[in-house]
Amino acid sequence: MSEDSKLPWEKVGPEYKKTIGKAGMLLDLDRCVGCHSCSVSCKTEHEVPLGNFRMRVRYMENPDSKKIAFAPLMCMQCEDAPCITACPSNALKKMDDGRVVVRESKCDLERECVSACPYGAISINEEKQVAEKCDFCTHRTELGLEPACADSCPSQAIQFGDLNDPLDPISIKIKAKGAKTWKEEAGTKPSVYYIGHEKWMEKKVNTGVQLDPKDEDIIYEQNNLKDL
Amino acid sequence: MSTITKRRDFLKIGAAAFAGGLLPGIFTPSLNAASNINIQELIKGKIDYTKAKATPTICFGCTNHCGVIGWVQDGRVRKIEGNPLDPNSEGNICAKAQGMISYTYYPERLLYPLKRVGKRGEGKWKRVTWDQALDELAGKLRPLRDNGVPEEFVFHYGRDKTKGFTKRFTNAFGTPHRLNRRSICSSNRRAPLMSYYGRDFEWETQDLENTKYVVNFGANPMEAYQGGLFMMHRLRESQVNKGAKMVTFEVRPSATASVSEEFHTIMPGTDGAVAFAMIHVILKEGLENQEFWNRWANYPLEDVRTLVKDYTPEWAESHSGIPAADIKRIAIEFASAAPACCTMSNRGSAKHYNGVQADRAIRMLDVLVGNVGKPGGFCLSSGSGWSGKYGQEGLPKLSQPGPKPGGPKPWGIGEGFNEAPFKKLPKKIQDRVNNFPDEWKNKYFGELATPSEFPLAWHWYQMRVGQLVYPYIKEGLQKVSVYMSFTLGASYGYPEANLAREVLLDEKLIPYHVAIDIGYGEQTALADLILPESTSLERWDYHSTNCYGLIPYTGLRQPLVKAAGESLSVQEILRDLARKIGGGMEEYFAMDDLEAFYKDWYKNLPIGWEEFKERGIWQDATREKDYELYERALSATELEDSTVEGELVKKNGKTIGIMMDGKAIRGFPTKSRKIGVYDEIWPIAAKAVGLPMTDVNASPIAIYDTVPEHKDLADDRYIFSTFKWNVHTQGRSAHWKYHSEIVHTNPAFMHPDTGKSLGLKEGDSVRISVFRPHGHTYRSNEKEIVGTVENHVRFLKGMHSKVIMCSHHVGHSEHGSVGRAEEAKSTPAVGIAATPDEAETKALKGGLWWSKKKGGIGGGVAINDALPINPCPLTGGQNWYDNVCKIEKI
Repeated sequence: MSEDSKLPWEKVGPEYKKTIGKAGMLLDLDRCVGCHSCSVSCKTEHEVPLGNFRMRVRYMENPDSKKIAFAPLMCMQCEDAPCITACPSNALKKMDDGRVVVRESKCDLERECVSACPYGAISINEEKQVAEKCDFCTHRTELGLEPACADSCPSQAIQFGDLNDPLDPISIKIKAKGAKTWKEEAGTKPSVYYIGHEKWMEKKVNTGVQLDPKDEDIIYEQNNLKDL
Repeated sequence: MSTITKRRDFLKIGAAAFAGGLLPGIFTPSLNAASNINIQELIKGKIDYTKAKATPTICFGCTNHCGVIGWVQDGRVRKIEGNPLDPNSEGNICAKAQGMISYTYYPERLLYPLKRVGKRGEGKWKRVTWDQALDELAGKLRPLRDNGVPEEFVFHYGRDKTKGFTKRFTNAFGTPHRLNRRSICSSNRRAPLMSYYGRDFEWETQDLENTKYVVNFGANPMEAYQGGLFMMHRLRESQVNKGAKMVTFEVRPSATASVSEEFHTIMPGTDGAVAFAMIHVILKEGLENQEFWNRWANYPLEDVRTLVKDYTPEWAESHSGIPAADIKRIAIEFASAAPACCTMSNRGSAKHYNGVQADRAIRMLDVLVGNVGKPGGFCLSSGSGWSGKYGQEGLPKLSQPGPKPGGPKPWGIGEGFNEAPFKKLPKKIQDRVNNFPDEWKNKYFGELATPSEFPLAWHWYQMRVGQLVYPYIKEGLQKVSVYMSFTLGASYGYPEANLAREVLLDEKLIPYHVAIDIGYGEQTALADLILPESTSLERWDYHSTNCYGLIPYTGLRQPLVKAAGESLSVQEILRDLARKIGGGMEEYFAMDDLEAFYKDWYKNLPIGWEEFKERGIWQDATREKDYELYERALSATELEDSTVEGELVKKNGKTIGIMMDGKAIRGFPTKSRKIGVYDEIWPIAAKAVGLPMTDVNASPIAIYDTVPEHKDLADDRYIFSTFKWNVHTQGRSAHWKYHSEIVHTNPAFMHPDTGKSLGLKEGDSVRISVFRPHGHTYRSNEKEIVGTVENHVRFLKGMHSKVIMCSHHVGHSEHGSVGRAEEAKSTPAVGIAATPDEAETKALKGGLWWSKKKGGIGGGVAINDALPINPCPLTGGQNWYDNVCKIEKI
C-alpha cells in the first residue's frame, strides 16, 4: 500500500520511529483545560492499577485570583535523576535519548526511588510488584506514535519532541515562550518543560486530583506525593 | 497499600508467572545500544500497535459522539484514540472516551437476562434465557395491542442514539409513549432557538475558529456541554494563537470560567439582565447593525429601544452583581468585534424560571450586532438527519430503511383522533385540549407524552417533560401496564428522584417494569425483568450532528468486538421482541442482519460501504461552509410551481423562502422566514393554560424578571446549585474506574466569606435544606422542605457568595462496587460474568482507595432527592438552578 493511500492510524511501525537525540515534553498550561484526558489515556494505555498514577492532572486555586489553574504532572525525565542514584539495585536507567526507565526485572522494591523523586512521580504497582513511572510510552514512540498523553490532549497542550534539535517544534516553542521546568531549584534538570508555569503552583498542596481537601489528604498519603 | 514486600520474595512465589517470556508476534526492536537496555522488556505486556487492529467508530462517552479509533488486540479493546478524519473533533478526544473500555469490561456489567424472584427492589434475581425473557414480556405486551390499549405501554429512555429505531418500535406497537429526558436537559435552551430560528439546529454552531470575541452566559464547553469537545480545541486555538477573547459569566470557577480571559461571578438567574444591559449599551452607543436587523428581525428596532430603556448597566448591576462599567465595556467590545463575535449560553442562563427569556435576550444580542451566520459569528449548521431539510440541499439523503410504521393517532374527539384514551382524561384536561388551536390538537398524545400544561414542550417537536412522568403516573393521569426503561437513570438523576423510586416500587402504578441497560443502576434495580444491552463498542448506529467546522459530515458506530455474554444491542432486543409480539409488528423488523440494515441506511453515500467502515466518517470537504444559509437563493427546481404570497415564497402549501430585493431567497425556517425576535406563541400558550399574562414566560418579546423565589431573598437563604465534572457523564459513569478515581465525591463548594458568615471552617459538615419554588409551577409555595443534603464544605474564591454547590454524578446506591465506592459487589451474581475480564479485575485488585473501608472519603452524596421538580411554565424545562435553601452547621 502506498503511503498516500494509508489512513492516519495505518502509519504505525518501526519504520515510522523518529530519531530523537533527547526526548522531551512541553506542557502548555496556557492551553490546558484540566480535562484529565491525558491521565486517563495514560492509565488505560498502561493498565495502571487504581491508586497508581503515572500522570496526574492537578487543580490549583490561584492565590491571587478566583480562577483554577491546571497542570498535568508526571516523571520529569531528569538529566540528573535522583531516582537513578537512589536505586540500590540499579533498576532505573537512562536510555540513549535521555528518558529514565524502570527495568522491571531488576526492581527489588527498595522504594528508594519513590522517596528520592522531588516530583512524586514514582509509585509502587502492587499488582506487578514493581516501581511504576512514565517512560514517554516507549512502546508507542518505538513505532512512531506519540506518547498517549500527547495524543489524547484535546487542547493541544502536550507535545513530545527532541530537545537536542533546535528546529523541533518544542525546542522552538520552549525558547520563544520562555518555558520553565517544575521546581528548577531541585537541580535535577528535567526534560519536561512548562509554559504558563508559575512559582506558586509548586507550593500549593491543597489541590490533588480534585478539589476536595479531605480526599487530597488521603491520596497524598497513599501515594507518597510530595509537597508540590 | 504500604506493606513492604521485596520483589525477590514475590518472585519466589510468582516465578511461574514470569517464566512465559515475551508475547509471540510482538515486533522486535533493537537493544538500546549505548545504555544496554532491553527495549523488549520495557514494552512487555503493552499494546502492540503493529499487531492490534484499528477500527473507527463513534464514541458514546457523552453526547458529543466524537469519531474515534478503537485498538483491539487479542479480542479486547485496549485503547480509544481520536479519529483525525472526524471534522468535528478533528481527532481530539476527552477522558470520557476511555470510559467505553471501563464499561465494556466492568466486572459487574450485566450479561444475561434476569427475572426478579424476590420483592421488587429486593435485589433477588434468577437468570433466564432470552426466549423466556421475551416470551414473558411479549405476553404482557401483546394483550395491550389486542385490547386496543397500546398506550398502556410506556417506553422511557435516558440516552437513545439509535436515530429513530426505538421510535420504529413504539410506532409499530402503537403507543405515543416514547418518553425522554429533554426537559431535564435542554428544552429551555432549545425553545428560544426554535422561536427565533424555526429550528433548534441541534443547536447553534458558533464559528469559533474565526471568532474574535465570545460572551458566554453559563455554558461550560471545557467540561460538560453538548459539542464541548468540538468547541474546546477551536476556542483554545483562537484564544491562544489568534487573540480571541472569551468573557464568561458563571457562579463557580468552572474550567471554562478559569480559561476565559474574563470570568465574572454572577448571581444565578440574572444572565438575562446582563444581556439586556448589553443591548441597552449597544443601542446607546450606536453599535447595532441596523441593516441586518431591519432585513431579518421581525420586530422594529425602535421598539427594542423602548423595551431596553430602563435595562441600564446600573440596573443590571443591582440584579447580577456585575459592575455596570464592566457590562458597558464588554458590550462595546462585543459589538465592535462584530460580525466575528458570538454569544454562548446553556444551563447557566437557561435553567431558571426566567431562563427562556434570558436565552431569548442573549439571542437578541447576536441579531442586534448582525453576526448571525457570519464568519466568526453565531452560525446555524445544517445539522443532522440528512433528510434534505433546511440547509441540507445537495447532501445525500440518508434514512432508516423501511418499511417504517406510521405513528399513532393524536388523542381527541372527532375523526382522525384516538377518542378512547382521551375520554379517560380528567374533564379539566379534556376541556383545555379541546380549546387548543387545531395545530396543537393534532400533536396531542396524552399527558405523559404531551403534557397539556406545557404546550411549548411539544409545539415545535416532542421534547416532553420527563420529570413530571412519575407525578403524573402517581396522580393517575395515565394507566401504565408495562413500563420500559432504556438506559434511564431517573431513580437517581431526576429531581425528587425518591418519587421516581416510590412510583417504580408501587406495583399498582407500575404492574410490570422492564429495564434495558448495560449496568445494574438504581433504575434497573427496580425492574421485574432486566434485558442486558451490548455496549457502544459492540454495536451499530447511524450518526450525524451539527459540525463546528460548518460542513456536514456523518459517522458510523460499528462493533469492534463481539457483544459480551448474552448481551444484545437495543436494535436486536426490540427486533426480537417485535417478532415475539407479532400481530403485524414483525413486518417492520425483518432486519436479520444489522450490518445489512445500516448499509442500506447509508446506501446513498458516494463512497462504498467497505470504505466507509474503514474511514468511519464521510464528509464532502469541498462543500461550501454553512455561512448565511438564509441568504442563499432558491434554485430553479425549488422555484418550479411555487407561488409568491405577500413576501413569502410557497410551494405545495409550504413556505420555502422569502422575496428580498426582488430575489427569492431561503430566509430562516420560521413561518415568517425572518428571525422570530417577537413571537406570539408565548402569550398564546400562556393564555391556553391559564398562565397569568404578567408572568415572565408569557411575553412575546424577551423581558427580564427576577426568579420568583429569588425576590427579596433573605440574608440567611442561599441558592443550592449543581454542576457536572469533565470526567463524568450524567449519572451513568460512576462505575468507570479511572474516572471515579478522579472524581468520586462532591463537597459543597462555597465562597470563603459565606463560610465565615456561617461560622464554618473548611471541611466542616453542613445540612442544606431545599425549599419549593414560588412561580407558577409544580407544588410551588408549599412550605415543607423538599429534602436535605449533608456534606462537607470546601471554599473557593470563584464561588458566588449566595451560592452553595454540589456536583451531580456521585452518591450512587447502585452501579456496582466502583459506582458505590464499596469493596463488595452489589450487582446480582447471576447476571454478571463468572470470570470477569482479567485486565479489569487486575486494575481493581488494588482496591478502591477512596472507599470508606480503605480509609477513604467514600463515594459522595446523592443530591437529586433534595431538588424539587420545578418545570418552567410552558416549556417544562427543569429549573435546576433556582433552588432556595438554608444552610446549617452540623
